[in-house]
Amino acid sequence: MAFGKFLLKRSLQGVLVVWGVVTVLFGLRAVTPGDPVNLIVDPAVDHETRERIRQELGLDQPIYVQYFEYLQDLLVGDLGYSYQSSRPVTTMVIERVPATLELALAATVVALVIAIPLGVISGTRRNEPADYGATSFSLVGISTPNFWLGIMLILLLAVQLDVFPTGRRPVAFHDALWMFLTTFYVGDLLTWFHHIILPAVTLGTYFTALITRLTRSGMLDEYGKPYVTATQAKGIPETLVRYKHVLRNTMIPIITVLGLQLGTLIGGAVVTETVFSWPGLGLRLIAAIHNLDWPLIQGIIIFVGISYVIINIAVDAIYAKLNPRVLDE
Amino acid sequence: MKGADNLYSGRRSVLKATGIIGATAGLGAIAGCLDDPTDDENGDTDELVITQGEFIENPDPNDHITGPYFNVLDPVYEPLFNVTPEFEFESRIVEEWEDTDEGAELTLRDDVVFHNGDEMTAEDVAYTFNRMIDPDLGIESDQAAGLGAIESAEALDETTVLLEHDVAPSLAEFEYANYGRVVNEEWIEEQEQPVAGDDEEAFNGTGPYQVVEYEPDVQLVLEPFEDYWGEEATFERVVFNEDGESSGRVNALQTGESDIVDNVIPEDVPDVDDEDGIEIRNETSLRNVFLVMNTGVEPFDSMEFRQALNYAVDNEGIVNDILGGYGEPMTQPIPDGVFGHNPDLEPYEQDLEQAEELIEESGYAGEEITLYAPEGRYLNDADVAQTAADQIDQLENVDCELDIVPFPDISDANSAPYDDDEMPFYLIGWGVITGDSDYGLAPFFTEEAPQETYRNEEISEMIFESQTIEDEDEREELLQEINEQLRDDAAWVYLHSQDSVYGVREDLEWEPRTDEDIHLWEIDS
Repeated sequence: MAFGKFLLKRSLQGVLVVWGVVTVLFGLRAVTPGDPVNLIVDPAVDHETRERIRQELGLDQPIYVQYFEYLQDLLVGDLGYSYQSSRPVTTMVIERVPATLELALAATVVALVIAIPLGVISGTRRNEPADYGATSFSLVGISTPNFWLGIMLILLLAVQLDVFPTGRRPVAFHDALWMFLTTFYVGDLLTWFHHIILPAVTLGTYFTALITRLTRSGMLDEYGKPYVTATQAKGIPETLVRYKHVLRNTMIPIITVLGLQLGTLIGGAVVTETVFSWPGLGLRLIAAIHNLDWPLIQGIIIFVGISYVIINIAVDAIYAKLNPRVLDE
Repeated sequence: MKGADNLYSGRRSVLKATGIIGATAGLGAIAGCLDDPTDDENGDTDELVITQGEFIENPDPNDHITGPYFNVLDPVYEPLFNVTPEFEFESRIVEEWEDTDEGAELTLRDDVVFHNGDEMTAEDVAYTFNRMIDPDLGIESDQAAGLGAIESAEALDETTVLLEHDVAPSLAEFEYANYGRVVNEEWIEEQEQPVAGDDEEAFNGTGPYQVVEYEPDVQLVLEPFEDYWGEEATFERVVFNEDGESSGRVNALQTGESDIVDNVIPEDVPDVDDEDGIEIRNETSLRNVFLVMNTGVEPFDSMEFRQALNYAVDNEGIVNDILGGYGEPMTQPIPDGVFGHNPDLEPYEQDLEQAEELIEESGYAGEEITLYAPEGRYLNDADVAQTAADQIDQLENVDCELDIVPFPDISDANSAPYDDDEMPFYLIGWGVITGDSDYGLAPFFTEEAPQETYRNEEISEMIFESQTIEDEDEREELLQEINEQLRDDAAWVYLHSQDSVYGVREDLEWEPRTDEDIHLWEIDS
């Protein structure tokens, strides 16, 4: 199969997945109790006003009419208006993307910085204390719920030791960076860094544990291969063998997982963002669910769904380029 | 491999040690030296940070009606009147006011300026009222419900506005004095409706503070408005931000990131009490929590049955055990502090024997009823409902079970007719935020009202009559009589008025109000 055809097939599958997400969400909205008008106006507002609002929103139309109108609007990027704030949902979603991306990327960096060295140590010192330490860390990391970890980190490092703030994001990374580039003022960047450490560690812990395990098993796999023995036999220093050959080959599956996990991190930051009041998509989603602000709930989940699909297609495409046998399968 | 490792062990050990020391020092430096702009734990009295559980839905001051919304917007869009904690009205933008045959005439200050430099006119004030009560002007305002008596507004001259109404002057006063954050007509008509911008340009009020930074649902940063007509602002910088979790707000208070936090739940109170420099301050609010019974549905159509449920529930015990003492048992539909509250009434005291007798008298012995309740909407609401349901269930001749449902279900039930039998018995709360009984009585107890749960023609007529009595004393007397009848007729199962509980930096001079408003001009450091 040609690469173009492969990409087209994956894209069509992606469109189907997004359509499925949209439809399921719309169905959920239809069966969820709660008259949207009661969510929009004060309970003391009279019956006539309620009826007028219902008509204005098209809620008096049959459900299939509402569905097709929603699909029509969606195709032109119109996700409707929030019941709670009356703001365009598209704007409300897009403005929260940077915070979530910052957190997802920071969590990835935390994971890589900790996981790769740990995985290498563990993989090269199999069945030694360092390996036991690293594998125990992985097990604990994978088993620790991040809402608990986040709260513990806040209680210990913010409330008791006063080393970090309890949460929030007083400055956006792009603003802090712009400030630094235009005035060389580094304070905003440091403030951002100070605030993101605990959320990033919280969100990145599971990921750290996962990558540590992958690195360890990858290293062990690679060490068993003949080319490693050959390079060692040539007298190449062990450090070079380890990092230039073994680790480099181990990184291929890790990078694939990284790409896929980024999508998970975007969607999975909900708990961490809530614990740390980090103003990303997750926190907005929780508030929207709390208020049953359906247009906003749909908007955020559809956005996350589309992101996930795009990242998956991109990963598939890269993988197909690297390993053309996939095209034949 | 091991040999190779050993060759480098000396150098590696040094590098490791250096790395660890460097990382520790770096983190320490960041943690210790960073000057967090929201952190004033070192006693920076020029900055005030207020963390609320809820934030503004949008920047439009005429759109919504919640307390947290007014707290954030009032420093920017100041109220027309100063409302004292005792619900007395004092001049602010409105200097004088009187009721005439045509309505209420408000005389305005002539030196009020909007933050964009435009002078405030009577046209702006009239436009503001019309904007709230006339949906054709661009928004469906929640505040319209609180301005039900005001029919229209008109500028009579540069500084005089006429508000037409045909109700008792004191009722009209409670309405117009509580709402009406003035907007600049020309400016607002250039905005989308309602105003929904996402930066500081989305605000243009006349208040003592102007917005210098705004991030929707995250924070609003204020600084004094230099051309403000009144007293100079107390703080050089004020930050309002949001944290939806009580524990998160308390943590922010403990670490000095915040100076005032609202809605501290009883479970988090000890964390504040145990910390030096911060304390709990509380005040009974105007928010009642009660059990609604649709009186058009059996068995709730029986007064004896309704009274029995009131005698079955120990509302004082619920306040002490479930709310940690942060509340007051209800004695009637209208809380203490509101015009028309009857101070002579006592709560129903738990009396299981009398309750069982009343059930027998009602003819509904052996009934099985279900109490519906939300979770997370009011202070420990699910626990309150569980306790009430258990106490009713312990009567020999009635069975009661609890069903926790999403709040929208409760909201739907509350807007259903009084004879709707789908969910006729449920827990809900209501804040009488205008300070007048009418806002707590008319929506529930008048015929065809939006939230009518109880039908009694006599009571309905009395409420309508109370809306037109000009003499304040006479009107208060009638409202008190209505409250007494509703108490005796057991229109609801009366539970409690819940407290507003705040965590506050100890050195701040500020007392919580019954109306749950936080006014910056009432805070001093």
